[in-house]
Order: sequence, then structure tokens, then C-alpha cells
Amino acid sequence: MVRSIISMLCVAFILFIGATFETKFVQKQFSEFHSVLEILYEKVDQETATQDDVYAVQKNWLDKKRFLHIFIPHNEIKEVDLWLSESATLVRDKEWNDAISKVEVLKELAEQIPRTFLLTWDNVL
Amino acid sequence: MLVTFFRTLIIFITLVVVMRLMGKRQIGEMQPFEFIVTLIIADLACIPMADVSIPLIYGVVSILALFILHQLLSLIEMSGGLLKRIISGKPSLVINSDGVDMIELKRNNMGVDDLIESMRALGYYSLDDLSYAIFESNGKLSPLENPNRNGVCKSVPLMIVNEGKINVKNVELMHSDTETVKKFTAKNGNGIKNTEIMTVDGNGRVYIKYKKEKYKILSFPLSEGIKW
Repeated sequence: MVRSIISMLCVAFILFIGATFETKFVQKQFSEFHSVLEILYEKVDQETATQDDVYAVQKNWLDKKRFLHIFIPHNEIKEVDLWLSESATLVRDKEWNDAISKVEVLKELAEQIPRTFLLTWDNVL
Repeated sequence: MLVTFFRTLIIFITLVVVMRLMGKRQIGEMQPFEFIVTLIIADLACIPMADVSIPLIYGVVSILALFILHQLLSLIEMSGGLLKRIISGKPSLVINSDGVDMIELKRNNMGVDDLIESMRALGYYSLDDLSYAIFESNGKLSPLENPNRNGVCKSVPLMIVNEGKINVKNVELMHSDTETVKKFTAKNGNGIKNTEIMTVDGNGRVYIKYKKEKYKILSFPLSEGIKW
């Protein structure tokens, strides 16, 4: 009985620590990514962005996604990859109106994905 | 992780409630919550394994959540009392000194057929072979043999009446007709509507139980040379 209680408490503790780390880690990664996207958004809005700017954002994302794969459904990560690639092409072709809408979607994703990890009724139900 | 944990918790509680409502027939030698763990743990392990788009941690967290719930419920089980009864249910006395208790059977979503099936698995073929029978909370039947039982049953009893309904196929098997059965129940009791159970074995030995009465052992007039 003592062993049962100890094992149960240990697992509950591991889960609690893991959950806290996961929430904080995902929030931090996406908050940083969102800041980078914000800069790109301003540049695209001012029509001064270059393809290298998008590549820089892509590189930043690549570094983050290696670890985010542990917590986030891979399809959502793929979605960010696809929108980023499209943005790069649109910025290269200087199609600013389309490019800004793509970056807008990316910003939205960077806000939405970490929200799915918060302990809210919407997420649980 | 916490979202996955709470989702697992909700599904688990829903399954425990549903399994408890389903009664003992669905369980099969496990406590309801043990059965649920067995039921869902395989899927929890398989889905992240087969679907590469789902991080493995989702499966791991759900399995660990189940482990916590299982340990918690096992501890409650060990402590006994009201909580144990709520989670695992209580044993049901389905055969008592008056015979088969239909109300108790129905409370567990079971019929006489299920009871007879469980009895057969234990080597008892006639309903009066047992003085008492208890369906344990894990769905297993615990019998107390009737001290007046006459050795091994030599013929399998046929269910002739089950809750006021005549089993025409079995009546034909014993080369009789429904009218004879109706007359038999009327002569010996309150008629077919009030007959909860009536079985007849190959020697014409009848187990009959009318509503709110103790069971009786009677003899049915089988046609000449009919035996099974």
C-alpha cells in the first residue's frame, strides 16, 4: 500500500513538473517566435523586407521546432513551415499584399498554438 | 500535458460510470475500473505509435494518468466502505432460499439466461442445484450448492417460460404445446403471466417460480418415450 501511494505520488509529481515545464517552454518559444514575426511583419508592411529576412525567421523557427516536436502535434508544426515557405516566395517576388497576409496568419498561429496548452475549459472539453 | 491529463480523467470517469450502469455482465472477472484500464490502455499506446503526427508524449501522459487513477481507485478499494461500493458495486444475491431473484438480476442488467449460462460454466445445470448464488462485483458467480442436490444433472433443463413468455421453440423440443404449458402453470399456480421462470428437464422435472413465491419442483407430463 505504501508502495502504491509513493509510486502514485511520484508519477503525479513527474506529470506536474512536466506539465509546468511544457507550458512554460511552449509559451516562451512561441512568444520569441511571435516577436521575430512582428519584426518581419513591420518590414513587409513597409515593403522593405528581403528574402533573407524571411530566411532568418525560418532559421529561428527551425531551431525551435526541433524541441517543439516533443510537445506539439507535428501537423501544426508543418503548417508553420508551409506558411513560412510561402512568405519567403512572396517577399522575393515583392507581392507585399499577399506576403503580409501570410505573415499575419503566422502571427496568429504563434498566438493560437501555445493557447491550446493552457488548462482551460475550451481545451479540456 | 495537463490538458491531456484532464481529458483522460474525464474519459475514465465517464467509462467507470457507464460500466457501473451496464451492470456485471460486461465485466468478466475484473473490477469495473480494472476493465476500463485494460480497455483503453491498448488504444492509448497504439495511437501515438501508429500516427506519427501525434507526439509520443501524448500517449505517455495518458498512460501515466491512467496509472495514477488506477492506483487511486485500488487504494479506495482497499479502504472499503461506501466509496468502494460506488466505484466497484456490491455483490448481488441472485439466488436465495426462494429461488431466482429476478429483481436483483434486472438490477444488474441480466436475465435468467445469463444466470443459467454462468451456472453451466460452473457445472450446475438446474436452477435448484444452488441454494444461494452471488454475482460478485467482478461479474463472477459464486455458488453455494444445494445440499439436497441429486448428484450430477443427467439432462439439460430447457427454459420453457421466462418472465411470463413461453419459449415456443423449447416447448416444441419437448414435444408439447403452449396450451399444455399454460394449463400446467394455471393448475399449479397463478398462470403464465405470473410465472417468472419455468424449466423442464428430460425427465419431466420442473423448476417453476411464480412472482413473489418460493420456487417449486414439480413434474411435467412428458409424452411417452420423450427424453433428452
